[in-house]
Amino acid sequence: MFTGGGARGTVISTASTVGVLAIFVLIFVLAPGARTVAHAFFYGRDMWQSFIGDPRKGYYSVGAAIWLNIRMFLAAEVLILPFALVIALIRQSTHPALFPIRVIATVYVDFFRGVPLLLVVVALGLGVPGLYLPVISHQPDAVYGVAALVITYSAYVSEVYRAGLNSVHRSQVAAARSLGLTQRTALRYVILRQAVRNIIPPLLNDFIALQKDTSLVGVLGVIEANQAASIYASTVFNYSSFTVAAILFLILTIPLARFTDRLIERDRRRRLAGVAA
Amino acid sequence: MRRFLVTAAAVAIAGGLTACGSSSSSGTPTGSGHTSAALSCTRPGLQHLLFKPGVLTVGTDKPAFTPWFVNNTPTNGKGYESAVAYAVAAQLGFSHSQVTWVHEPFNSVYSPGPKAFDFDINEVSFTPQRAQAVTFSDSYYPVQQSIVALKGSAIATKHSPAQLKTYLYGDQIGTTGLTYINTDIQPTRQPKVFNTLQLAASALEAHRIDALITDTPTAQYMAAYQLKHALLVAQFPTVGEHYGLVLAKGNKLVTCVNKALATLTSDGTLAALQHKWLGIFLNFPTIKP
Repeated sequence: MFTGGGARGTVISTASTVGVLAIFVLIFVLAPGARTVAHAFFYGRDMWQSFIGDPRKGYYSVGAAIWLNIRMFLAAEVLILPFALVIALIRQSTHPALFPIRVIATVYVDFFRGVPLLLVVVALGLGVPGLYLPVISHQPDAVYGVAALVITYSAYVSEVYRAGLNSVHRSQVAAARSLGLTQRTALRYVILRQAVRNIIPPLLNDFIALQKDTSLVGVLGVIEANQAASIYASTVFNYSSFTVAAILFLILTIPLARFTDRLIERDRRRRLAGVAA
Repeated sequence: MRRFLVTAAAVAIAGGLTACGSSSSSGTPTGSGHTSAALSCTRPGLQHLLFKPGVLTVGTDKPAFTPWFVNNTPTNGKGYESAVAYAVAAQLGFSHSQVTWVHEPFNSVYSPGPKAFDFDINEVSFTPQRAQAVTFSDSYYPVQQSIVALKGSAIATKHSPAQLKTYLYGDQIGTTGLTYINTDIQPTRQPKVFNTLQLAASALEAHRIDALITDTPTAQYMAAYQLKHALLVAQFPTVGEHYGLVLAKGNKLVTCVNKALATLTSDGTLAALQHKWLGIFLNFPTIKP
């Protein structure tokens, strides 16, 4: 999928890949400080120790901590998809009576796309408990973290939805309405179906970013992977724990990235086939 | 605030006991280093070891916390660590104006490659593991951990060893507090670890943690001046932890720095500076975890 030109193309691409990699490896190995840097970032013993953790020595398992990132990501994703759609539909609505909530939705999107996620995490994680409200002020930190992720990412994702909705040509609505479909039915069976297909790649793109941004919740003191790595580094004075965290995040995100590529490619071929016919 | 447990042997020094010779059993890479000869510990003799010729460059983080520094201004010579830095500088023959301060974030103190300072003074606790990445001086302060909690909270009055296990603790990243909590208190709930002391304090005020563990001078300052409704509950017995100056790995300047610290210890200067800058912070009941 990455190469073109058949067998010869494969040979050329392989040789070029090996060459490029060799240059990077050489630069790294020949650098005067290579050994020190290798020890600081890629030391096997420290990588293993940070992976398994030892609370008695003042650090936690990065490997166990990534599980919290995964749970936060999954919870956030499930909530973002419907919430962002509601915001997008409100912004797309045309009825005059809906004007005030259209304004609110627009302000919401502008605001939360513009405010750094870290600030939202801190504001929710330290602010909401300070309100002493029953139930909602007594949640675990991860819940406030997920809430912050949902609030911020919904603003982004609603724009993705909106772009998708706008990408469906107006004639499609007109055709649907002329067949006697109501506005709502046309939206559901004609517009959304086509829009969703267009937005899956950018949507997955946002979710890859979301997976990584779960690490910002560590600012509330919860031990997620990045925080666990950070604790290890500052306790032992070795950064290899960050390499472990990076590898774990890569293991999470690369399959999703490849899956996105495949979807894009499949969609492209489908459309080209349509043109050819 | 950056502290770590140490083997008891490595400690003793700045407790006002004796000069470095007595810590010969520490077996740490920093050692006392008094044996290496041929290095003249005077300003002209040190030129080739300095980051910038002619001046002593000292690193610390921002903000520089009280009572270790005063008004976040290391150059004023006020606060214990600022005073110690200038006292060490004077021993090495540097006048006040020949000392320059650089901002050195805690996380870059131990990064590989050349350092932008001659030594860093930032409440960094010695540990053997850390000593593989940087070179530590001998101790300039023996550390004890304390509990900060909100007035009227349960831990303020109920802190028997069994009761201590039931609380939710918070701690700043890179400190020995976490090791102390997990090794000596052994609470039933996983402690929270915050990137900065301010965040930990905010969490305490928002009732997100029951107590915060930090070194006694910092704890007392927070309880007395920074937080409105907090108090220092008690301090824990020493576990042999100490703060050391941080130098680039293998920097020979450490020999002279240690000589200076030994002199400042034996002539009572360190004890006097502790009395002056930390004195009011140190009279607290000690409880067992």
